[in-house]
Amino acid sequence: MAEQTAEREAPPPPPSAPRRRRLALPERIPVRGTILVILSIAIVLGVVIGTASTLRTGRFTGANWIDLVINGVARGSVYALIAMGYTLVYGILFMINFAHGEVFMAGAFTALFAAFALEEHGVLNSNPILSIGILFLVSMVTSMTVALLLERVAYRPLRGAPRLVPLITAIGASLFLQYTFRGLYSAQARAYPRINIMEGSWTMFGAAVARAQVVVILGALALMIGLYLFIARTRTGRSMRAVGEDKEIASLMGINVDRTIVTTFAIGGLLAGAAGILYVFLFNQVIFTMGFFAGIKAFTAAVLGGIGSIAGAAIGGVLLGVFEAVGPILFLTGAGIDSPNQLQPVVAFGILVLVLIFRPGGILGAPEEKRA
Amino acid sequence: MAEKVRTPTRRAVIIGVIAGVVGIYLAATGNILRFHTRNVLTTADGEGILQLSYTFLLLVILAAAYRAARGTSEQQPDPARRIGLGVLTGGVAGAVVALFVAAMKALIEGGLIVTEITPEIRAVLLDDILLFGRGLGAGSALLIGLGAALGAVAASVHLLDRNNRRPLMVGFVATLLVSLMEPLLRVIIEGLGVDTAWLYQSRGLTVTGAIIVFVVVAGLLTAWTRRGDLVRERVRQLPTQQRSVLRWSTIALFILFLLFLPSLAGLRVSEVLTTIGIYVLLGLGLNIVVGYAGLLDLGYVAFFAVGAYVTAILTFRSSFLVSESGVSVAQLDLGDKGFTNFWVALPIVVILAVIIGVLIGAPVLRLRGDYLAIVTLGFGEIIRVLVASDWLRPWLGGAQGIIAPDDIPPATLELRKPANLYFLILAAVLLAAFISYRLVDSRVGRAWAAMREDESVAEAMGISVIKYKLLAFAIGAGIASLGGAFFAVKIGSVFPNSFKLIVSINVLAVIILGGMGSIPGVIVGSIVLVGLPELLREFAEYRLLFYGAILVAIMIYKPEGLVPNKRRVRELHEVDEEEAQFAKRAGEDTAAPVVTAGGSDEK
Amino acid sequence: MSPLLEVTGLSKRFGGVRAVDGVDFRADQGEIVGVIGPNGAGKTTLFNVVTGFYPSDEGTMRFDGHSLNGLKPNQITRLGIARTFQAVRLFPAMTVLENAMVGQHARTRSGVLGAVLALGPTRREEEHIQAQAREMLAFFGDRLVGFREDQLASELAYADRRRLEIARAMATEPKLLLLDEPAAGMNPQEKKDLIQLIARLRDERGYSIVLIEHDMAVVSGISERVVALDYGRKIAEGTYEEVSSNERVIEAYLGKQK
Repeated sequence: MAEQTAEREAPPPPPSAPRRRRLALPERIPVRGTILVILSIAIVLGVVIGTASTLRTGRFTGANWIDLVINGVARGSVYALIAMGYTLVYGILFMINFAHGEVFMAGAFTALFAAFALEEHGVLNSNPILSIGILFLVSMVTSMTVALLLERVAYRPLRGAPRLVPLITAIGASLFLQYTFRGLYSAQARAYPRINIMEGSWTMFGAAVARAQVVVILGALALMIGLYLFIARTRTGRSMRAVGEDKEIASLMGINVDRTIVTTFAIGGLLAGAAGILYVFLFNQVIFTMGFFAGIKAFTAAVLGGIGSIAGAAIGGVLLGVFEAVGPILFLTGAGIDSPNQLQPVVAFGILVLVLIFRPGGILGAPEEKRA
Repeated sequence: MAEKVRTPTRRAVIIGVIAGVVGIYLAATGNILRFHTRNVLTTADGEGILQLSYTFLLLVILAAAYRAARGTSEQQPDPARRIGLGVLTGGVAGAVVALFVAAMKALIEGGLIVTEITPEIRAVLLDDILLFGRGLGAGSALLIGLGAALGAVAASVHLLDRNNRRPLMVGFVATLLVSLMEPLLRVIIEGLGVDTAWLYQSRGLTVTGAIIVFVVVAGLLTAWTRRGDLVRERVRQLPTQQRSVLRWSTIALFILFLLFLPSLAGLRVSEVLTTIGIYVLLGLGLNIVVGYAGLLDLGYVAFFAVGAYVTAILTFRSSFLVSESGVSVAQLDLGDKGFTNFWVALPIVVILAVIIGVLIGAPVLRLRGDYLAIVTLGFGEIIRVLVASDWLRPWLGGAQGIIAPDDIPPATLELRKPANLYFLILAAVLLAAFISYRLVDSRVGRAWAAMREDESVAEAMGISVIKYKLLAFAIGAGIASLGGAFFAVKIGSVFPNSFKLIVSINVLAVIILGGMGSIPGVIVGSIVLVGLPELLREFAEYRLLFYGAILVAIMIYKPEGLVPNKRRVRELHEVDEEEAQFAKRAGEDTAAPVVTAGGSDEK
Repeated sequence: MSPLLEVTGLSKRFGGVRAVDGVDFRADQGEIVGVIGPNGAGKTTLFNVVTGFYPSDEGTMRFDGHSLNGLKPNQITRLGIARTFQAVRLFPAMTVLENAMVGQHARTRSGVLGAVLALGPTRREEEHIQAQAREMLAFFGDRLVGFREDQLASELAYADRRRLEIARAMATEPKLLLLDEPAAGMNPQEKKDLIQLIARLRDERGYSIVLIEHDMAVVSGISERVVALDYGRKIAEGTYEEVSSNERVIEAYLGKQK
């Protein structure tokens, strides 16, 4: 190389001419920053004014609020349980399993037919505990199967592909699963048969609390504690954390990476299946599209808490549930907006958008460090 | 973690089981039952020979056996062995379906499947269709036997040489398509004054018709394979300049063809064409955002909605601007009789959409790829929920939307004729395609490509990443709003339900199928994903299922799409080196070149 | 003469770790400066802060009469600092020529309208960009020209990727070139070529150059001044001979000798 260039006797071009080195003024003004500041001021003002004027109307009593909060915690527990699936998979593969909502739907929808069969034979109310056990079993096994198929068919071939590729696949899988279950089980919303012991309420904190809500909150709590212990204490749990840190090193340490990933999907699926039955306790109805909203809310919960963190997903889920139950009424009624609950989805999506803009690491995560 | 080496026999069994499961899937999702009344092949008197339900099963088994008998790149079975493998695959598939039938019957007997359609499933799906009305024993035997026979047929295709195999297969597929498109083709052919009784009977192709279609297609293809290489070679040898002339004249011819298409194709097709056109437009816009700038925008539908709603508000008599007080804001200007002229509204629509695009984009565009996708999805849904809410009802009409009443201004009325709208959309599509084409190889296009490949290095090259992301976002928003404006005019009403997330996903599917970053890809994608389902109305219900499957299959097997942009081929196949060893290429044996007796495989 | 780049009291922390800790650093017009130090000494972080990839926590940076504090990487590139990366970072799916053409981005201005309408100025600018890019590629002899122009960057041999990365940096028409371990992964012959190349970059193109390098042969071969970092602090500065015989530097590399 040296000889060739020497031959060329390159006429030394002038040291590159300094042209247009000044920066234009507008470039020094942070456009994005300005929009963000205006945005945050508007939101804070809106929330404060709305809340103040709602409270001033005095339309809602303390008991109303307690009701709403418990309602929020209950549905939030379901979100949290689904969020575990997102957070576990993200922690290990760094991908958003967009189809996880459908995993949840698959379990809840399939168990419906178990419920029909149990009711037909009169077992549902003569032996409710056994029946509920069977429903959980059917739902969890179905969800787990769907999650495993998803991993094997749609995600495994794409491991290591550019980031957007698995996400697009996941969107496709989500659509595919929705319409598969629509084909399998029909397009209408369908109600579960009544389980008598889940009806009625207990009096707690001076308010009547629906039994179903108590069962849901306790059930979700138990499952989450179980998961936490599993991750923290067992060999498999340690392998999962190791694979999340560094797949290559984990495999050098003798961890079977593939099997660990499969386990992760299986656990996420089992929890989503359980969440499906808890959801049914609360809302009593299933439809093939239910996975989408539940999924997106659970994902919001995971992001809110700090994706990749189990405790974060739990906190995020409950917070989101409460926000959703209380938020529209608290912020919007006072602002004179009719039927504020119509805007409930805006709360979830709004939180998602705001968390990702202002603190993408979530509550328990670090603020995102700028990339090198 | 290498794929275990499987013996051909084992492979055939596995493929057979998969085919059987696909068959069960089709049966369980209701496809078999639903399509049992649709004939594909009939006698000359219209008596059904083959129904669509059986056709599905038949295709699955044929495809599976064909694949199993093909062998792998390492192992090329001899002819007798191939037939054996085909028979095995087909037989296994039949057996799996038979097992499913037996299991279902047992579950139903045991009272474990209790739904309102259980009796129908049992009597029609299981007994009549899957067991051919012959009871479990004989029916199962027949299933297995037919499966094996079909397997043998599919496997024997491998015995043909390449030049004969292709016309055969393409002819087969074409015949099937002609049969499926009966509702459309019959209308068109009869419209030309030709009798169709020889071709179609009771919604299926007649045997004679099928043979004619097959022979014509296969014959033409054979002729082309003989001469095609020659033509292609001669084109390749042309000097660059002439090749570019050839290219441009092809495009010009294509445009000319498009100009005359509506008058050739009739009203129904023209309507489908406008729908395709709107999707092409949306696809071209999203292509700039996703394909060029690499930003996955799942809230793209928001800009489509903005375009449609602003158009409706400005030009429909029923909008608040016009009707509330009786004094129209629009009356102040050039509007004819109280409406804003569509042509005046159009630039307002686009400018507004661009502004909204920048406002939404600015805070979120710094986010990493997958987070960006979710946030834009969130924005899209927020906009839809707001539009549908009672709160904004006085302005946006809530869930009822805004409907154009009958007294539409003349300009808009003229546009509502499909033919006129078609030309308008065609013009917009050509404009958008031209803009894309010019941008991609410009300084702007290079900045996008650099950003897509490595954002921080692009920034180190002096590229203001935020500026170029916003630019892509804004152009995409503008093009989408044009699509929305046409949509509002075409439908004559706007409802929140027309602007669900699914629209964004449809458009994404269009550009993914065609190939990200590829302009012809967008057109092909729209025709396949929007045009075909419109024409094959019977399948409308399965459209989204199909979209989902397409997204997954394309990403796994052909991430660059059907009509790839040259650059994307490598980019998308490039595997993160760190993770490379963990990436199992499931598609490996599909991707491997097929070595056949027919000579070299060039493509 | 005032220095081209002058950094005073620069600090950058990551959590509790001070990656760069009160460093003073300067590079004069037409100078070649070597930066050495053991792994984790903060060399690359120094580059990343100067080029705007990380915001600085403390200290001031001035370049060619402008403050660099708070500027974004693209603005700093436009002021005239170009860099290469420790692990070569090209645009792998773009061709060799396109890679170099991207470098010209900072020095050109045509936008959407010009490109769509193919206006005269835009067309001329596009030709100018190509000519500039080709000139930069030609600087490396015949390795990156001819048919190579249309090859994808990912298809190049390793040493050629390094060269292309430098060509791309040259295309930004910098005054100061920051090279991050340019000799990493090269064989002895390639390293010799590299030394000559860096000298030519200064002599023929008039760049000032700062390079991070582990290979002492390369550092001693070309640096007029050497700066040694350890644990984010500057521990020595001077000619190669002075720095390499400095006790603290030896200690940093070899560990404390008792």
